[in-house]
Amino acid sequence: MRGFQARGAAAVAELDDEERMVVARIVADVGLLLGGEQFGMADPGAQHARDADDEMDGIFAHLKGLEESLAEPDDPAVLRLLPSASRDDRDVADEFRRLTEGDLRDLKVARLRTMWEQLSEDGPEWEIDAAEAMPTAAALTDVRLVLASRLSLDTDEDADRLHGEIELATHALDTDADDDLGIDPERVWLGMLYQALTWLQESLVQYAMTAEDADE
Amino acid sequence: MTQEELEREGAVATRTADAWVTIVWNDPVNLMSYVTHVFQTYFGLSRHDAEARMREVHEHGRSVLSTGGREKMEVDVQAMHGYGLWATLQRSGE
Repeated sequence: MRGFQARGAAAVAELDDEERMVVARIVADVGLLLGGEQFGMADPGAQHARDADDEMDGIFAHLKGLEESLAEPDDPAVLRLLPSASRDDRDVADEFRRLTEGDLRDLKVARLRTMWEQLSEDGPEWEIDAAEAMPTAAALTDVRLVLASRLSLDTDEDADRLHGEIELATHALDTDADDDLGIDPERVWLGMLYQALTWLQESLVQYAMTAEDADE
Repeated sequence: MTQEELEREGAVATRTADAWVTIVWNDPVNLMSYVTHVFQTYFGLSRHDAEARMREVHEHGRSVLSTGGREKMEVDVQAMHGYGLWATLQRSGE
């Protein structure tokens, strides 16, 4: 994986086939969670994508739990994507939800669909026009919010702890240590996906900020 | 920061009866660079001011980003939710 870098009037990142499929899959899952239709179902290439998916079952096994929990209507991840607009005034929160929730869902699903379509193209490059940099960064935020909810990252300390757990787990893997670290492998896998998306988003935001500075 | 302190801050921001505020809350997911850039592009703040607000959110848990009528605050909160930031609105004097 290579982070976003400027090329002409676009930002270009590189993801290998496996990385693209994993990211595309979680993007599609978040779209479903928001009530969007399954991405790519009307696409004649979808069968090919599903066949390829079957080969990836081992990798996607870790996403199963995520998909199951997403189906619940009172899923905390949905609440994180469509949060309450008031902490203590029910009327304000309800009124806001009534006025805005449909539009917010549509906006988020449309952005995720665009990202999914880009990731479903052939080749390692992921190219984003300068004008699409922030909408894409926002879509990456939504995916990261869902992963963070699944990983119970509620505070900055939780995020630091996850980072430590992943370091410990990857170090154990590198050194072939078979000590039982007491770390759930699914948590490590989702945590590494979360970190990779964080890193990709950071490179995209740096690109957007630099591009804007150059305009001024 | 307690609700009481928040309310006092809101009261200081403006004492107009129909004035509301948009508050952005800290979360462990959003990147400092991203929050800064959202504040710059949406609220039209300079890089310097946007960074100051981002630090306030990060270090104090929240920051008041805009003040105005309820409908305008609903628009601002909706925009923040669109970016994946957690924002709320409340009457400034409450």
